[in-house]
Amino acid sequence: MTARDFDGGLLRPAGEFEKAPAPAADLLNAVGAMKPVRTRTRFGAFALVGLVGLVWPAIALGHLPLRQDLSALPTWWVVTAASLWGLAFALSLAAALVPRRGDVLPAPGRASRLSGAAMAVVLVFVLAATARAPGVSLRPADLHWTLLRSCIHCASFVLEISAVFLVVGLLALRRLVPTGGARIGMALGAAGGAMGGLVLHFICPIAETSHVALAHVGGMALAAAVGALLLSGVGRR
Amino acid sequence: MGPMDAEAIEAADVMARYCRGEAAAFHRLYALLAPRILAYLSGLLGDKAAAEDTLQVTFLKVHEARGTYVLGANPIPWMYTIAHRTCLDELRRRKRSRVRLTQDGTLQSEPAAHLTGVSVDAHQDQTDRPDASVTASALAALDRLPENQRLALLLTKVHGRSTAEAAMITGTTPGAIKQRAHRAYVTLRGMLGNAESAKAEPP
Repeated sequence: MTARDFDGGLLRPAGEFEKAPAPAADLLNAVGAMKPVRTRTRFGAFALVGLVGLVWPAIALGHLPLRQDLSALPTWWVVTAASLWGLAFALSLAAALVPRRGDVLPAPGRASRLSGAAMAVVLVFVLAATARAPGVSLRPADLHWTLLRSCIHCASFVLEISAVFLVVGLLALRRLVPTGGARIGMALGAAGGAMGGLVLHFICPIAETSHVALAHVGGMALAAAVGALLLSGVGRR
Repeated sequence: MGPMDAEAIEAADVMARYCRGEAAAFHRLYALLAPRILAYLSGLLGDKAAAEDTLQVTFLKVHEARGTYVLGANPIPWMYTIAHRTCLDELRRRKRSRVRLTQDGTLQSEPAAHLTGVSVDAHQDQTDRPDASVTASALAALDRLPENQRLALLLTKVHGRSTAEAAMITGTTPGAIKQRAHRAYVTLRGMLGNAESAKAEPP
Protein backbone atom coordinates (compact mmCIF):
# COMPACT_ATOMS: atom_id res chain seq x y z
CA MET A 1 0.00 0.00 0.00
CA THR A 2 1.23 3.46 -0.83
CA ALA A 3 0.19 7.04 -0.34
CA ARG A 4 -1.18 6.88 -3.88
CA ASP A 5 -3.65 4.21 -2.80
CA PHE A 6 -5.14 6.72 -0.41
CA ASP A 7 -4.92 9.64 -2.78
CA GLY A 8 -6.59 7.52 -5.43
CA GLY A 9 -9.58 7.18 -3.17
CA LEU A 10 -9.09 3.49 -2.41
CA LEU A 11 -10.54 3.93 1.06
CA ARG A 12 -13.36 6.23 0.13
CA PRO A 13 -16.77 4.63 0.32
CA ALA A 14 -17.90 3.36 -3.10
CA GLY A 15 -20.29 5.90 -4.57
CA GLU A 16 -22.15 8.18 -2.19
CA PHE A 17 -22.05 8.15 1.58
CA GLU A 18 -24.85 6.13 3.11
CA LYS A 19 -28.14 7.91 3.57
CA ALA A 20 -28.56 9.52 6.98
CA PRO A 21 -31.69 8.95 9.05
CA ALA A 22 -34.33 11.69 8.96
CA PRO A 23 -33.90 14.56 11.44
CA ALA A 24 -35.19 13.68 14.91
CA ALA A 25 -38.38 15.21 16.31
CA ASP A 26 -36.44 17.50 18.71
CA LEU A 27 -34.44 18.87 15.85
CA LEU A 28 -37.49 19.35 13.63
CA ASN A 29 -39.30 21.13 16.45
CA ALA A 30 -36.36 23.47 16.96
CA VAL A 31 -36.17 24.17 13.23
CA GLY A 32 -39.93 24.68 13.02
CA ALA A 33 -39.77 27.34 15.72
CA MET A 34 -36.70 29.13 14.40
CA LYS A 35 -36.44 32.81 13.65
CA PRO A 36 -33.88 34.65 11.56
CA VAL A 37 -30.63 35.15 13.44
CA ARG A 38 -28.01 37.82 13.18
CA THR A 39 -24.78 36.17 12.12
CA ARG A 40 -21.26 36.99 13.20
CA THR A 41 -18.80 39.05 11.19
CA ARG A 42 -15.15 38.09 10.81
CA PHE A 43 -13.86 41.06 12.77
CA GLY A 44 -16.69 41.44 15.31
CA ALA A 45 -15.05 39.59 18.22
CA PHE A 46 -11.69 41.20 17.43
CA ALA A 47 -13.19 44.69 17.61
CA LEU A 48 -15.16 43.94 20.78
CA VAL A 49 -12.32 42.34 22.73
CA GLY A 50 -9.81 44.90 21.45
CA LEU A 51 -11.93 47.89 22.42
CA VAL A 52 -12.99 46.62 25.84
CA GLY A 53 -9.49 45.37 26.61
CA LEU A 54 -7.90 48.70 25.74
CA VAL A 55 -9.89 50.64 28.33
CA TRP A 56 -7.75 49.63 31.28
CA PRO A 57 -4.36 50.12 29.58
CA ALA A 58 -5.55 53.57 28.49
CA ILE A 59 -6.55 54.44 32.06
CA ALA A 60 -3.22 53.10 33.37
CA LEU A 61 -1.25 55.17 30.88
CA GLY A 62 -3.29 58.25 31.74
CA HIS A 63 -2.91 57.93 35.50
CA LEU A 64 0.48 56.33 36.15
CA PRO A 65 3.64 58.44 35.79
CA LEU A 66 5.67 57.84 32.64
CA ARG A 67 9.16 56.40 33.11
CA GLN A 68 11.66 59.07 34.05
CA ASP A 69 14.19 58.10 31.38
CA LEU A 70 11.72 58.23 28.48
CA SER A 71 12.95 61.54 27.09
CA ALA A 72 16.59 60.47 27.49
CA LEU A 73 16.17 57.33 25.39
CA PRO A 74 16.71 57.36 21.61
CA THR A 75 13.41 58.14 19.87
CA TRP A 76 13.95 55.46 17.22
CA TRP A 77 14.33 52.85 19.95
CA VAL A 78 11.22 53.98 21.85
CA VAL A 79 9.18 53.91 18.63
CA THR A 80 10.59 50.58 17.43
CA ALA A 81 10.03 48.84 20.77
CA ALA A 82 6.51 50.26 21.09
CA SER A 83 5.73 49.19 17.50
CA LEU A 84 6.96 45.66 18.18
CA TRP A 85 4.86 45.32 21.33
CA GLY A 86 1.87 46.80 19.51
CA LEU A 87 2.36 44.51 16.54
CA ALA A 88 2.67 41.50 18.84
CA PHE A 89 -0.61 42.55 20.45
CA ALA A 90 -2.52 43.06 17.19
CA LEU A 91 -1.17 39.91 15.54
CA SER A 92 -1.89 37.69 18.53
CA LEU A 93 -5.38 39.10 19.02
CA ALA A 94 -6.22 38.75 15.33
CA ALA A 95 -4.86 35.20 15.27
CA ALA A 96 -7.03 34.31 18.26
CA LEU A 97 -10.24 35.90 17.08
CA VAL A 98 -10.34 36.48 13.32
CA PRO A 99 -11.11 33.50 11.12
CA ARG A 100 -9.36 33.31 7.77
CA ARG A 101 -11.42 34.43 4.79
CA GLY A 102 -13.83 31.60 3.96
CA ASP A 103 -13.64 30.04 7.45
CA VAL A 104 -16.11 30.20 10.31
CA LEU A 105 -13.65 29.52 13.14
CA PRO A 106 -10.26 30.97 13.99
CA ALA A 107 -7.54 28.43 13.18
CA PRO A 108 -5.95 27.10 16.41
CA GLY A 109 -2.69 26.17 14.71
CA ARG A 110 -2.24 29.61 13.20
CA ALA A 111 -3.10 31.21 16.55
CA SER A 112 -0.42 29.38 18.50
CA ARG A 113 2.16 29.77 15.73
CA LEU A 114 1.66 33.51 15.32
CA SER A 115 1.51 34.31 19.02
CA GLY A 116 4.57 32.14 19.67
CA ALA A 117 6.44 33.94 16.89
CA ALA A 118 5.35 37.33 18.26
CA MET A 119 6.70 36.40 21.70
CA ALA A 120 9.97 35.19 20.21
CA VAL A 121 10.49 38.38 18.18
CA VAL A 122 9.82 40.59 21.19
CA LEU A 123 12.18 38.51 23.32
CA VAL A 124 14.96 38.68 20.73
CA PHE A 125 14.53 42.46 20.47
CA VAL A 126 14.61 42.84 24.24
CA LEU A 127 17.72 40.67 24.57
CA ALA A 128 19.52 42.33 21.70
CA ALA A 129 18.45 45.94 21.91
CA THR A 130 17.19 47.03 25.32
CA ALA A 131 18.29 50.64 25.67
CA ARG A 132 19.05 52.49 28.87
CA ALA A 133 19.98 56.05 29.59
CA PRO A 134 23.03 56.05 31.90
CA GLY A 135 22.31 57.86 35.11
CA VAL A 136 18.60 58.13 34.43
CA SER A 137 17.38 54.59 33.82
CA LEU A 138 17.00 52.50 36.93
CA ARG A 139 18.01 49.03 38.01
CA PRO A 140 16.08 46.99 40.59
CA ALA A 141 18.80 47.71 43.17
CA ASP A 142 18.20 51.44 42.78
CA LEU A 143 14.72 50.85 44.19
CA HIS A 144 16.12 48.52 46.87
CA TRP A 145 14.39 45.63 45.08
CA THR A 146 15.79 42.26 44.12
CA LEU A 147 15.44 41.20 40.49
CA LEU A 148 12.83 38.66 41.59
CA ARG A 149 10.73 41.25 43.37
CA SER A 150 10.87 43.62 40.40
CA CYS A 151 9.86 40.74 38.10
CA ILE A 152 6.92 39.76 40.27
CA HIS A 153 5.77 43.39 40.39
CA CYS A 154 5.83 43.91 36.62
CA ALA A 155 4.62 40.42 35.67
CA SER A 156 1.63 40.94 37.98
CA PHE A 157 0.84 44.16 36.15
CA VAL A 158 1.03 42.33 32.79
CA LEU A 159 -1.30 39.65 34.12
CA GLU A 160 -3.77 42.29 35.35
CA ILE A 161 -3.89 43.91 31.93
CA SER A 162 -4.26 40.55 30.18
CA ALA A 163 -7.02 39.42 32.56
CA VAL A 164 -9.49 41.79 30.87
CA PHE A 165 -8.60 40.42 27.44
CA LEU A 166 -8.93 36.87 28.73
CA VAL A 167 -12.30 37.40 30.38
CA VAL A 168 -13.85 39.32 27.47
CA GLY A 169 -12.25 36.96 24.95
CA LEU A 170 -13.51 33.96 26.87
CA LEU A 171 -17.03 35.37 26.74
CA ALA A 172 -16.72 36.08 23.03
CA LEU A 173 -15.35 32.61 22.31
CA ARG A 174 -17.38 30.47 24.66
CA ARG A 175 -19.60 29.04 21.93
CA LEU A 176 -17.16 29.45 19.14
CA VAL A 177 -14.15 27.24 19.73
CA PRO A 178 -15.16 23.61 19.92
CA THR A 179 -11.60 22.36 19.40
CA GLY A 180 -8.14 23.81 19.91
CA GLY A 181 -9.22 26.07 22.78
CA ALA A 182 -5.79 25.92 24.40
CA ARG A 183 -4.06 27.29 21.30
CA ILE A 184 -6.62 30.05 20.88
CA GLY A 185 -6.35 30.85 24.60
CA MET A 186 -2.58 31.03 24.27
CA ALA A 187 -2.90 33.67 21.53
CA LEU A 188 -5.50 35.60 23.49
CA GLY A 189 -3.31 35.60 26.61
CA ALA A 190 -0.28 36.59 24.53
CA ALA A 191 -2.26 39.51 23.10
CA GLY A 192 -3.16 40.72 26.59
CA GLY A 193 0.44 40.16 27.71
CA ALA A 194 1.77 42.15 24.76
CA MET A 195 -0.55 45.02 25.66
CA GLY A 196 0.75 44.84 29.23
CA GLY A 197 4.30 44.91 27.86
CA LEU A 198 3.46 47.92 25.71
CA VAL A 199 2.12 49.85 28.70
CA LEU A 200 5.17 48.88 30.79
CA HIS A 201 7.40 50.10 27.97
CA PHE A 202 6.16 53.61 28.82
CA ILE A 203 5.82 53.42 32.59
CA CYS A 204 8.36 50.92 33.94
CA PRO A 205 11.51 52.82 35.03
CA ILE A 206 13.66 49.66 35.20
CA ALA A 207 15.66 49.35 32.00
CA GLU A 208 17.77 46.30 32.78
CA THR A 209 17.68 43.61 30.08
CA SER A 210 17.18 40.77 32.55
CA HIS A 211 14.22 42.56 34.13
CA VAL A 212 12.54 43.41 30.81
CA ALA A 213 13.11 39.89 29.46
CA LEU A 214 11.94 38.07 32.59
CA ALA A 215 9.18 40.39 33.79
CA HIS A 216 7.77 41.96 30.63
CA VAL A 217 8.26 39.18 28.07
CA GLY A 218 7.98 36.56 30.82
CA GLY A 219 4.71 38.17 31.90
CA MET A 220 3.48 37.87 28.33
CA ALA A 221 4.44 34.19 28.27
CA LEU A 222 2.74 33.68 31.62
CA ALA A 223 -0.44 35.34 30.34
CA ALA A 224 -0.32 33.06 27.29
CA ALA A 225 -0.02 30.03 29.55
CA VAL A 226 -2.93 31.19 31.71
CA GLY A 227 -5.00 31.76 28.55
CA ALA A 228 -4.18 28.29 27.27
CA LEU A 229 -5.22 26.75 30.58
CA LEU A 230 -8.41 28.80 30.81
CA LEU A 231 -9.61 28.11 27.31
CA SER A 232 -8.56 24.49 27.04
CA GLY A 233 -11.91 23.32 28.35
CA VAL A 234 -14.07 26.14 27.06
CA GLY A 235 -16.29 26.15 24.03
CA ARG A 236 -17.86 22.75 24.23
CA ARG A 237 -21.10 23.22 22.46
CA MET B 1 -8.04 28.74 2.93
CA GLY B 2 -8.15 28.47 -0.85
CA PRO B 3 -11.08 29.28 -3.10
CA MET B 4 -14.21 27.33 -2.25
CA ASP B 5 -15.36 24.46 -4.47
CA ALA B 6 -18.90 24.19 -5.85
CA GLU B 7 -20.04 22.06 -2.94
CA ALA B 8 -18.76 24.55 -0.38
CA ILE B 9 -20.36 27.43 -2.28
CA GLU B 10 -23.70 25.63 -2.26
CA ALA B 11 -23.35 24.81 1.45
CA ALA B 12 -22.53 28.46 2.21
CA ASP B 13 -25.56 29.63 0.24
CA VAL B 14 -27.86 27.15 1.98
CA MET B 15 -26.42 28.07 5.38
CA ALA B 16 -27.08 31.76 4.71
CA ARG B 17 -30.73 30.99 3.89
CA TYR B 18 -30.92 28.80 7.00
CA CYS B 19 -29.70 31.72 9.13
CA ARG B 20 -32.38 33.89 7.55
CA GLY B 21 -34.93 31.45 8.98
CA GLU B 22 -35.82 29.31 5.93
CA ALA B 23 -36.76 25.85 7.18
CA ALA B 24 -36.36 24.44 3.65
CA ALA B 25 -32.71 25.50 3.75
CA PHE B 26 -32.18 23.43 6.90
CA HIS B 27 -33.54 20.34 5.12
CA ARG B 28 -31.27 21.00 2.13
CA LEU B 29 -28.27 21.44 4.44
CA TYR B 30 -29.16 18.23 6.24
CA ALA B 31 -29.49 16.33 2.96
CA LEU B 32 -26.20 17.77 1.77
CA LEU B 33 -24.08 17.16 4.85
CA ALA B 34 -25.71 14.66 7.20
CA PRO B 35 -24.55 11.57 5.24
CA ARG B 36 -20.88 12.55 5.36
CA ILE B 37 -21.04 13.73 8.97
CA LEU B 38 -22.69 10.43 9.85
CA ALA B 39 -19.94 8.57 8.04
CA TYR B 40 -17.31 10.54 9.97
CA LEU B 41 -19.03 9.89 13.29
CA SER B 42 -19.49 6.20 12.51
CA GLY B 43 -15.81 5.96 11.68
CA LEU B 44 -14.86 7.53 15.00
CA LEU B 45 -17.39 5.77 17.21
CA GLY B 46 -17.50 2.41 15.43
CA ASP B 47 -21.14 2.11 16.39
CA LYS B 48 -23.86 3.10 13.96
CA ALA B 49 -26.61 3.70 16.50
CA ALA B 50 -24.40 5.99 18.61
CA ALA B 51 -23.26 7.77 15.46
CA GLU B 52 -26.86 8.42 14.43
CA ASP B 53 -27.65 9.81 17.88
CA THR B 54 -24.53 11.98 17.80
CA LEU B 55 -25.50 13.20 14.34
CA GLN B 56 -28.79 14.50 15.71
CA VAL B 57 -27.01 16.19 18.61
CA THR B 58 -24.52 17.70 16.17
CA PHE B 59 -27.27 19.23 14.03
CA LEU B 60 -29.05 20.48 17.12
CA LYS B 61 -25.83 22.21 18.17
CA VAL B 62 -25.39 23.63 14.67
CA HIS B 63 -28.94 24.94 14.92
CA GLU B 64 -28.26 26.57 18.28
CA ALA B 65 -24.94 27.98 17.10
CA ARG B 66 -26.08 29.22 13.69
CA GLY B 67 -25.75 32.80 14.92
CA THR B 68 -21.98 32.28 15.16
CA TYR B 69 -21.76 31.43 11.46
CA VAL B 70 -19.92 33.97 9.30
CA LEU B 71 -21.90 34.69 6.14
CA GLY B 72 -20.12 33.54 3.00
CA ALA B 73 -17.80 31.14 4.83
CA ASN B 74 -17.58 27.43 4.08
CA PRO B 75 -19.75 25.75 6.75
CA ILE B 76 -18.50 22.20 6.06
CA PRO B 77 -15.29 22.25 8.20
CA TRP B 78 -17.22 24.13 10.91
CA MET B 79 -19.85 21.39 11.03
CA TYR B 80 -17.18 18.69 11.07
CA THR B 81 -15.60 20.53 14.01
CA ILE B 82 -18.86 20.54 15.93
CA ALA B 83 -19.36 16.87 15.11
CA HIS B 84 -15.81 16.10 16.24
CA ARG B 85 -16.34 17.88 19.56
CA THR B 86 -19.69 16.18 20.08
CA CYS B 87 -18.08 12.86 19.32
CA LEU B 88 -15.30 13.45 21.87
CA ASP B 89 -17.95 14.23 24.46
CA GLU B 90 -19.76 11.01 23.55
CA LEU B 91 -16.55 9.01 23.86
CA ARG B 92 -15.87 10.55 27.29
CA ARG B 93 -19.41 9.74 28.35
CA ARG B 94 -18.88 6.16 27.20
CA LYS B 95 -15.72 5.85 29.25
CA ARG B 96 -17.68 6.88 32.32
CA SER B 97 -20.49 4.36 31.66
CA ARG B 98 -18.85 1.36 30.11
CA VAL B 99 -21.92 -0.88 29.96
CA ARG B 100 -25.18 0.26 28.44
CA LEU B 101 -28.32 -1.72 29.14
CA THR B 102 -31.70 -1.66 27.45
CA GLN B 103 -34.81 -0.97 29.50
CA ASP B 104 -35.35 -4.66 30.25
CA GLY B 105 -31.83 -4.89 31.65
CA THR B 106 -30.24 -6.80 28.80
CA LEU B 107 -27.16 -5.72 26.93
CA GLN B 108 -27.81 -3.52 23.94
CA SER B 109 -26.80 -4.94 20.57
CA GLU B 110 -25.23 -2.31 18.41
CA PRO B 111 -25.10 -2.41 14.64
CA ALA B 112 -21.47 -2.15 13.69
CA ALA B 113 -20.12 0.54 11.43
CA HIS B 114 -16.92 0.34 9.49
CA LEU B 115 -14.07 2.77 9.85
CA THR B 116 -14.98 4.70 6.70
CA GLY B 117 -18.44 5.21 8.08
CA VAL B 118 -20.33 2.76 5.91
CA SER B 119 -22.32 -0.04 7.53
CA VAL B 120 -20.85 -3.51 7.57
CA ASP B 121 -23.21 -4.58 4.76
CA ALA B 122 -22.29 -1.66 2.59
CA HIS B 123 -18.66 -2.27 3.41
CA GLN B 124 -19.13 -5.81 2.13
CA ASP B 125 -20.34 -4.33 -1.18
CA GLN B 126 -17.35 -2.06 -1.23
CA THR B 127 -15.02 -4.99 -0.90
CA ASP B 128 -16.52 -6.39 -4.12
CA ARG B 129 -14.53 -3.74 -5.98
CA PRO B 130 -11.60 -5.00 -8.08
CA ASP B 131 -9.06 -3.83 -5.48
CA ALA B 132 -11.08 -5.44 -2.72
CA SER B 133 -8.31 -7.41 -1.02
CA VAL B 134 -6.02 -4.39 -0.75
CA THR B 135 -8.90 -2.27 0.51
CA ALA B 136 -9.92 -4.86 3.08
CA SER B 137 -6.44 -5.25 4.49
CA ALA B 138 -5.88 -1.49 4.43
CA LEU B 139 -9.10 -0.87 6.33
CA ALA B 140 -8.26 -3.55 8.89
CA ALA B 141 -4.83 -1.99 9.40
CA LEU B 142 -6.33 1.50 9.64
CA ASP B 143 -8.54 0.31 12.44
CA ARG B 144 -5.46 -0.57 14.49
CA LEU B 145 -3.74 2.82 14.10
CA PRO B 146 -3.38 5.19 17.08
CA GLU B 147 -6.39 7.49 17.22
CA ASN B 148 -4.69 10.73 16.20
CA GLN B 149 -3.06 9.08 13.17
CA ARG B 150 -6.33 7.42 12.20
CA LEU B 151 -8.13 10.75 12.47
CA ALA B 152 -5.58 12.46 10.23
CA LEU B 153 -6.03 9.80 7.54
CA LEU B 154 -9.81 9.65 7.92
CA LEU B 155 -10.24 13.38 7.48
CA THR B 156 -7.75 13.94 4.69
CA LYS B 157 -8.08 10.75 2.68
CA VAL B 158 -11.53 9.34 3.37
CA HIS B 159 -13.43 12.61 3.78
CA GLY B 160 -11.30 14.68 1.43
CA ARG B 161 -10.64 17.57 3.83
CA SER B 162 -7.54 19.70 3.28
CA THR B 163 -4.78 19.59 5.92
CA ALA B 164 -5.79 23.09 7.05
CA GLU B 165 -9.41 22.00 7.48
CA ALA B 166 -8.41 18.78 9.24
CA ALA B 167 -6.21 20.83 11.57
CA MET B 168 -9.09 23.13 12.40
CA ILE B 169 -11.48 20.23 12.97
CA THR B 170 -9.14 18.48 15.37
CA GLY B 171 -7.77 21.67 16.95
CA THR B 172 -4.17 21.19 15.92
CA THR B 173 -1.74 22.50 13.30
CA PRO B 174 -1.59 21.56 9.60
CA GLY B 175 1.99 20.42 10.23
CA ALA B 176 0.81 18.03 12.94
CA ILE B 177 -1.83 16.62 10.60
CA LYS B 178 0.76 16.04 7.87
CA GLN B 179 3.10 14.44 10.37
CA ARG B 180 0.38 12.17 11.76
CA ALA B 181 -0.69 11.16 8.28
CA HIS B 182 2.94 10.42 7.43
CA ARG B 183 3.37 8.35 10.59
CA ALA B 184 0.17 6.55 9.75
CA TYR B 185 1.57 5.64 6.34
CA VAL B 186 4.75 4.36 7.93
CA THR B 187 2.81 2.32 10.48
CA LEU B 188 0.50 0.95 7.80
CA ARG B 189 3.44 -0.02 5.65
CA GLY B 190 4.86 -1.91 8.58
CA MET B 191 1.54 -3.60 9.24
CA LEU B 192 0.90 -4.59 5.67
CA GLY B 193 4.48 -5.52 4.90
CA ASN B 194 4.26 -4.39 1.33
CA ALA B 195 7.78 -4.10 0.02
CA GLU B 196 6.74 -1.88 -2.87
CA SER B 197 5.31 0.70 -0.55
CA ALA B 198 8.75 1.35 0.90
CA LYS B 199 9.69 3.04 -2.37
CA ALA B 200 6.68 5.32 -2.39
CA GLU B 201 6.93 8.75 -0.83
CA PRO B 202 4.29 10.15 1.46
CA PRO B 203 2.59 13.33 0.29
